[in-house]
Amino acid sequence: MKKLLAVSLAVLMLVSLCACGGGSKNVIKIGVYEPQSGDNGAGGKQEILGMQYANSVTNEIEIGGKTYKVELVISDNESSNDKAVSAASKLVSEGCAVVLGSYGSGVSIAGSDTFADAGIPVIGVTCTNPQVTEGNSHYFRICFLDPFQGTVLANFANDELKAKKAYCLGQLGNDYDIGLINYFKQAAEKLGMEVITAEFPKDNSDFNSYLTNAKNAKADVIFAPCSTSYAQLIIEQAEKQGIDVPILAGDTWDSNQILDAAKAKAPNAKIYVSTFYAEGGDVNFEKGFRDFINGNSVNKQNNGGNDIIAAVSVMGYDAYYTALEALKKADSVKAADVLKALPSTTYTGVTGKIAFDSIGDAARDTAYIKKVNTSTGLWDFVKVQTIK
Amino acid sequence: MFKKINNALNPSLRHPEQERASRINKVGAIILLAILYVFLFVLDNFLPAGSFTGMLIPVLRKGAIYALLCVSMNLLNGFTGLFSLGQAGFMLIGGYAYAILSIPASQHAAVYQYFDGGAIQFSIPEFFSSFLGAGLGSFVGSIICIIIAGVIAALFAALIGIPVLRLKSDYLAIATLGFAEIIRAIFQWNGFGIITNGSNLLRKYTALSDIRWDIGSVSLKFGTVFVFLIVTICILLIVLLINSSYGRAFNAVRDDEISAEAMGINLFKHKMMSFIISSFFAGVGGALLAMYQTTIQSAAFTSAMTYEILLMVVIGGIGSVSGSGIAAFLYIAANEWWLRFLDSGSIGSIEVSFFRGGFRKVIFSIAIMIIVLFFSRGIMGDKELSITGVINWFKNRKERKLAKKINASKEGE
Repeated sequence: MKKLLAVSLAVLMLVSLCACGGGSKNVIKIGVYEPQSGDNGAGGKQEILGMQYANSVTNEIEIGGKTYKVELVISDNESSNDKAVSAASKLVSEGCAVVLGSYGSGVSIAGSDTFADAGIPVIGVTCTNPQVTEGNSHYFRICFLDPFQGTVLANFANDELKAKKAYCLGQLGNDYDIGLINYFKQAAEKLGMEVITAEFPKDNSDFNSYLTNAKNAKADVIFAPCSTSYAQLIIEQAEKQGIDVPILAGDTWDSNQILDAAKAKAPNAKIYVSTFYAEGGDVNFEKGFRDFINGNSVNKQNNGGNDIIAAVSVMGYDAYYTALEALKKADSVKAADVLKALPSTTYTGVTGKIAFDSIGDAARDTAYIKKVNTSTGLWDFVKVQTIK
Repeated sequence: MFKKINNALNPSLRHPEQERASRINKVGAIILLAILYVFLFVLDNFLPAGSFTGMLIPVLRKGAIYALLCVSMNLLNGFTGLFSLGQAGFMLIGGYAYAILSIPASQHAAVYQYFDGGAIQFSIPEFFSSFLGAGLGSFVGSIICIIIAGVIAALFAALIGIPVLRLKSDYLAIATLGFAEIIRAIFQWNGFGIITNGSNLLRKYTALSDIRWDIGSVSLKFGTVFVFLIVTICILLIVLLINSSYGRAFNAVRDDEISAEAMGINLFKHKMMSFIISSFFAGVGGALLAMYQTTIQSAAFTSAMTYEILLMVVIGGIGSVSGSGIAAFLYIAANEWWLRFLDSGSIGSIEVSFFRGGFRKVIFSIAIMIIVLFFSRGIMGDKELSITGVINWFKNRKERKLAKKINASKEGE
């Protein structure tokens, strides 16, 4: 019995090894370096959905007179820096011509050097930390950056919400939260606002003391750009405490989980988020994407159980087409040629025009502000915010 | 020296036959290690990058680092019987000490972007590179940084060991677990940001790809060889310690504290020693992990990381050095390489509908549960792997089968 088990395990291992090799000749691989588990698993899955939809629309590309089938190779980085190297190595070893990702700036930076050593260009989709592209000639990105987003949100708080005092709440040890709060604080103080900052430890579930502090400080707005798992608790507990000041957050909160939490548990909440895309921007795309999600139970599950379109999915869609554009421009399937072609690649996608500056960042000057409609459980578009 | 102690301690155990076996094991181990190093060197430099070698290199590197971490934890938990869960905290200290000391001065402004370039403005590998050349300089510099990393971790262990080691069993585990959590929170605190970079990660320090030798236009890489070299030396030191009189004292403390004390073993002193030495190697492991990852962030050093190492120790066998090593390589390879196909939705060209992102984690957890429930002694139990042992195992196969048959027929009667 034991022997049978050992043999069957060995066969399984062999099969898995065989699975690594193979593949026909006219295939070009695009790597997807995203979290499918861990803290950011939900967001990562939505971003992948956008790429998979794009791949289902356009899965062939002509390079050098030959037609290639485009194949997505997905590697789960588990939202964790210590798993980043092997996840990135997986994509390198598969021979990907270009890589897309990741959701979460920390893992993007952690995987960066592995791609750099292999000479493979990476297109960041929604990683907003400046350090992702800074000093990395192989890393590009199609989204806006935290300094921009922080300033936009500070401007919005000042112009629209007429806030005088902001209470910022972030997770200790999370570079995204702390970084964005840092930029928000800088911009807000320049506009004459008063800013109080606080940090909660990882895996915290009781936010009452922080919310009481915010209340006692008479803050006009709470800025909490933390992960969605904490966000749901903050929304619920703020409602229980009767806090009626607006809650403001960055692109992470543009998620179905926030909508569900607000609709179910916080009918009076005023939640505003800044994001990359507002629904209604491109009707054809949205119809196609909804059909794609509703047509497959796995897709729907990965999207959080409904067909609300997250901005990260749209960004994933645009990233895929930007990669195709770069491949066409390079007219080659080699990573080195794509790397050379990327800086001058331009593409006009669903989220607007994408062109890279000298660092490799997309020149973006607008962010969309959306508000949760607690009765319908959908997003209401508020305004397009630019920096003064 | 250790051999002498060994012989002095148990002269009756040293028959000529055993003397011969021990010689075969030693010579064989040296030959096998030499072959391994040649293979690693070839792997680093000459083998073409493909889907197999591309994954083999990171898995070997990380596996070796975790082997060291497991052995260092085994020294404490398995050989001294102190159930400590502070491993991640000491790794964090070691990793950060290494990274902070080796970030080049020119990169400080970029890395410490929120803290005006940070407080420390020198880099040890850079200092050595200035007169030894880039390759050798980073080699010498990183080794010195690794040793400092280990020493700092050991210093912290000495400090917290004084109060904590007075506790026993579960209380010790809780206290050390708490220590690791506190260390993580302190490293993330903005107040120390000028040194630790707060919540943000550290990067651009000397990594494994910097360990190379440039001869003219040819650049020889030593990344994997370097990891294995440090890990081999460290594990060898631990094995020598375990086989020395101190090691026997550790075992005595584990088996029965009162008897050990009656035999004249200073309990606290030996516990302290084991704790400090284990933490030193955890610090070294943390530094190597930082080199492997190329970036380091305190958020990753959670208690889950300690549990992962503890799991490997249990799978390998508590009280077996070779078991810890085998389990570390198997665990890392299975988790980060072999089981990845479960995420992809197909085996080769066959579509499997229930394979999807994250499915790997489910299967892996079930496999771990089965191992821990049904093979609770682990792969090696408390035995060690040796060349003569393997040879004898094969030699005795027939006899074992015969014995089994006899047993079976006896039971049948």
